[in-house]
Amino acid sequence: MGQTIIEKIIQLHSKDEAVSGRIVWMDLDIRSARDFGGPNVVKHYEREYRDSPLADKSKTFFTFDLCAPACTLKYADNQQACRDFARRHGIEVFDVDRGIGSHVLIEEGLARPGSTIVGTDSHMNVLGAVGCFGQGMGDVDIAFAFKTGTTWFEVPESVKVVLIGKPSAATDAKDLTLFLGKELGTKKIALRSAEFYGETVKDLGLAGRITFCSMITEMAGIIGFIPEYGAELAGEMKRFSGRAFSPASADKDALYADSLKLDVTGLPPQVAVPPSPNSVKSLAEVRGTRIDSGFIGSCTNGRTEDFARAAEILRIRKVKKSVMLKVVPATRRVYEELLKRGILETLFESGAIVVNPGCGGCAEGHVGLTGKGETQISTGNRNFPGKQGKGRTYLASPAVVAASCVAGEIAGPEDL
Amino acid sequence: MSKGKVWKYGDDVNTDVIYAGKYTYQQMRPEEMASHALEDLDPEFAKDVRPGDVIVAGKNFGCGSSREQAAACLRAAGVQAVVAKSFARIYFRNAINLGLPVLQSEEASKNLKSGDDVEIDFGGGKIISGEKVFKFPPLPDSVIGILEAGGLLEWTKKKLERAK
Repeated sequence: MGQTIIEKIIQLHSKDEAVSGRIVWMDLDIRSARDFGGPNVVKHYEREYRDSPLADKSKTFFTFDLCAPACTLKYADNQQACRDFARRHGIEVFDVDRGIGSHVLIEEGLARPGSTIVGTDSHMNVLGAVGCFGQGMGDVDIAFAFKTGTTWFEVPESVKVVLIGKPSAATDAKDLTLFLGKELGTKKIALRSAEFYGETVKDLGLAGRITFCSMITEMAGIIGFIPEYGAELAGEMKRFSGRAFSPASADKDALYADSLKLDVTGLPPQVAVPPSPNSVKSLAEVRGTRIDSGFIGSCTNGRTEDFARAAEILRIRKVKKSVMLKVVPATRRVYEELLKRGILETLFESGAIVVNPGCGGCAEGHVGLTGKGETQISTGNRNFPGKQGKGRTYLASPAVVAASCVAGEIAGPEDL
Repeated sequence: MSKGKVWKYGDDVNTDVIYAGKYTYQQMRPEEMASHALEDLDPEFAKDVRPGDVIVAGKNFGCGSSREQAAACLRAAGVQAVVAKSFARIYFRNAINLGLPVLQSEEASKNLKSGDDVEIDFGGGKIISGEKVFKFPPLPDSVIGILEAGGLLEWTKKKLERAK
């Protein structure tokens, strides 16, 4: 019988038969831990395995992105505990200067199509954007992966999702992923791998794919893949790894647990309203909601293209005086591109606060927290109560966030 | 096969009611953790649970946060297994990694009720209660190995010792 993408990738890494529903042992190409979770990985490792060597230090990494550089003593201690462990074992650390771990792994050519990667980041499945099976796991799991280079995994069932039609020109990948959350909720792809087809997703470049695949976690899915691709993506990926881009595709007779069609014809910009990323409305329904702050960044919308889109809107405009716009590039490489392409200057001139790369406000990171009574509009991926502080968070595309920060209320570029 | 009694609960039992957030960052001995198990769902549970008892629940058991204590506290309370229609993904992993068997059986979830006597045949994939027998997909040998060792880290330690 034919195989789905996830079955193919797992099969390449397992001696067991990779059929959906079966638990198999799987070899891991990369195992990583970040400054959140990482210190517990070190603790578990040292308690259980003492000073015995890792399975393979060249495949093991730390990526510090959550609170970078540390702004609390606890994080400073935790990061140093990981660095000390890394030195003892000869592991490379992508330190606090580098940015979001999953993105750094792509840029370093480590996250490749068909590879398997685990880390302590629940959004590690963003790597589905490049055809790589990434997965977030707990501290015990990652300590075990450091030691053995393997993990156990229940091969997920797959769902085929076809997007039909062309969304309105005012939208981008974020509007698509928010719409997906609205339509799929937390049940339709729960515990499953999703394969997305259709012209609209095929044409997405790396940044758009990252955005699109980054919110599968919010839909309770295991991972999302976009098997068809254009020359733009292949070129970008080759630059990172030096290798030809050749992701796995599903067999024609692969078995799917479900098959869905979503019509995105004329889709207008979408906004997720508090308290859930899947409670999504069209921009028209929330237009005019007063905001105090804006955030552009995160593993969902932290690429150069995201900031370029915001800069187009902010080039001849200013952020409203009563509004804070916080900008956090995903990685140091993105930061460099913003600098060299003049995007940083545009954002600075508009009144935005641009800081060093990292995750930003998620899970009490360094920039992007809200206070009680504050209303924020963010390009992030979660707006659960308390996730980014005590305020209320709306989720939208970089264009809508930038326009809203000019208007002082939720707005699209066409409203300015 | 050890015997025990059923503790029956509904759908979507979340990790907050299994092990409250306020205890998550306190270091506790296993027996202390056991004394707080299911505190906000069923205050009688921690008092009356006996080694070998089985929790039977509906769908999506263990949803919510990824805290590993939500599995550890049930194991510390002597729970032999959790039987549910389905489990939240991270809970399922954490439970096996910490040595707590988690079994999927829609039939058992529908038919068993609190106080029923029950025993579990892990190798045979059977949950037995009096005349009634409910099947569950037997766990692969590798997972049974992890559970028998008492969890993933214990299992590797034993494996590494053997390799010496």
